[in-house]
Amino acid sequence: MAEIPNKFDVIVIGAGPAGSASAYYLATKGFKVLMLERGRSPGSKNVFGGRVYVAPLREIFSDFEKTAPIHRWVTRERMSFMYGNELVSLDYEGNDHKSFTTYLSQLVAWMALKAETAGVSIVNDITVTGLLKEGNKVIGIKSGNESVKADVVIDAEGVNRLVLESAGTVPPLKPSNVALGVKEVVKVNPEVLANEFGLGDGEGMAWSLMGDVTSGLPGGGFIYTNKDSVSIGLVMLLDNAISGANDEVYRYVERLKAHPKLNKYFKDSRIMEYSAHLIPEDVWSLRPPKLAYDGLLIAGDAAGFLLNLGYTYRGVDFAAYSGYLAGKAIEQAHELGGMSAINLAAYPKLLDQSFIMKNLKRFNGTNKLMHNRRLFTAYPAMMVSLMKRIYSLDYESQKIFNTVLASAKENGVGPFTLISDGIEVIRYL
Amino acid sequence: MGLNIILLFKYVPNTNTVNVDPNTGTLVREGVPSVVNPHDLDAAELALELREKYGGKITAMIMAPPNAMKGIEFLMGMGVDEGVLITDRAYGGADTLATSYVLAAGIRTIEHYDLIITGQETLDSSTAHIGAQLASWLKLPYVYYVTEASLNDGTLIVKRQLESYTEKYRVKLPALITVLMHSHQPRPVTLENKLRAVIKKPIKMLTNNDLKLNIMCTGLRGSPTVVAKTEFIAKIPRKKEILKDKSPQETAAWLLSKLKEEGFLN
Repeated sequence: MAEIPNKFDVIVIGAGPAGSASAYYLATKGFKVLMLERGRSPGSKNVFGGRVYVAPLREIFSDFEKTAPIHRWVTRERMSFMYGNELVSLDYEGNDHKSFTTYLSQLVAWMALKAETAGVSIVNDITVTGLLKEGNKVIGIKSGNESVKADVVIDAEGVNRLVLESAGTVPPLKPSNVALGVKEVVKVNPEVLANEFGLGDGEGMAWSLMGDVTSGLPGGGFIYTNKDSVSIGLVMLLDNAISGANDEVYRYVERLKAHPKLNKYFKDSRIMEYSAHLIPEDVWSLRPPKLAYDGLLIAGDAAGFLLNLGYTYRGVDFAAYSGYLAGKAIEQAHELGGMSAINLAAYPKLLDQSFIMKNLKRFNGTNKLMHNRRLFTAYPAMMVSLMKRIYSLDYESQKIFNTVLASAKENGVGPFTLISDGIEVIRYL
Repeated sequence: MGLNIILLFKYVPNTNTVNVDPNTGTLVREGVPSVVNPHDLDAAELALELREKYGGKITAMIMAPPNAMKGIEFLMGMGVDEGVLITDRAYGGADTLATSYVLAAGIRTIEHYDLIITGQETLDSSTAHIGAQLASWLKLPYVYYVTEASLNDGTLIVKRQLESYTEKYRVKLPALITVLMHSHQPRPVTLENKLRAVIKKPIKMLTNNDLKLNIMCTGLRGSPTVVAKTEFIAKIPRKKEILKDKSPQETAAWLLSKLKEEGFLN
């Protein structure tokens, strides 16, 4: 039988955003790269909410805007606070092209194709089951009883880190480390996007929902408009979902679609796709002890690189950029003469200098906010009752300050709690 | 030396996950992942066993849209050596006659082959036409429902399983056999084989520029089959009832009364 190479310069575990970006970069620099994917094709195991920020991707792929599968540029941002059958919304209409909606499966397939075209060998439908080691040094990967060697391995296996767990690098996930995202993509009538969402050609909306969305479980909802479909979903902390969810999680999404103020957006819609995924939540506790080992770098969700601001998540651009930096670090280590942890130390340094760690540090603590139940229950309710007191009147108008206190009291929030929660929000966001 | 085997297969929607449109009665294929026709995997396994025994080479061949490349890669993951993808818009919408016509032309481009192997039938249409039609086009001896095959003095000895007996044939090569479904346990895909497929990419594409067939004889235009009507068979509603914690006598009596109630017993 014909000879095949039994050693590569780099093996990338997982053909998601992080893996594909790293593989692409390294192949363009002349490295011989093998990327292994557990799913049927790159992107088939990836899930996101619906929006990606473009700047980091543009830096990695110079022709990004010309050829990537961009559905709509997000020109409308909406944040809604929900209580009962009412909601209060903040609407922002901008003109910038800073983020876009897409299907992640399409975006990742595009990234992987870029990598393949640059010379990366991609093998699908293969599960990496462990790291091949020589002492403490990683020298390749194992898949069942087979193995392949490489000078360096990039672990971009995603949030569920079975490879790193089996290697003893990280402990098993705890429910408190992660959130559960559940999502439907539904086909809608094009008129719904034009008329109900008020979107022109190529314009998109990112909509975050807070409050009475997850039946009081800490978490929130999201809606994104794609080319001819809408993504709607929920994120809830996994430990709360386990202890507090009193129904199948997908039913929460179904109920959200049927909400009296939302159902007009989903009239005659048809489910195209249903998905669920874990999301790094407590990113600091998810952080592996190190990001660079002898012969091993960790990127993307596997490293906990995801920013949760409550009203928006950033995962895809963080993952892709961390993969890109892993590629740069490997390039530098190669010049230094090998893939030792010392030579690869450029990776954590590059990360520290990048928007990834700057953001993660800046927003360190937001996940504490997520555990403040009042933010998901009392305050949205307060917003709604406040607006109701101001706008829903027969004869007498109300003074706003009195109204705030009254609606706070109505929702069981005392003035001191109000102030301390306010400080907390300002501090962390 | 050894055997040069052509393995024909179909890339079919995974019918385990296919829904039927209640209005039109047709399969809803949108978003349904395709797989190598499971009955062709029996054929792939037999082909691989023959290659192990006698040496040679296996070429997987298909007429299909380009996404069937994934199917060839899967078979190569099992150990198949190379692939031929015959793809052309002019071949779309073909029935079995138009398909076997194109496949025969594809097979004729292969200089030397000893054996053509394929599955007994496909999962999505179950006609079992292709083997017989191809054997006619290529004027080859043809045995179907094959469970075993071996070489003897340059001829092929095959066992054919029928309902209540087996037959044994001695067949001159080149020959065409179709393999009985569920007669073989297909081997798993390995990383090494998949790597070989990805790195060497030994997959050839043939279009009508290569085969130069009369397009009145291919695709929809070359298909005499007419689907006159598809009738949707309504699902029988289940009346699930569970009887628990009764004695065997009581349970039996209850079951009898239920069956009588439904008119299955007098």
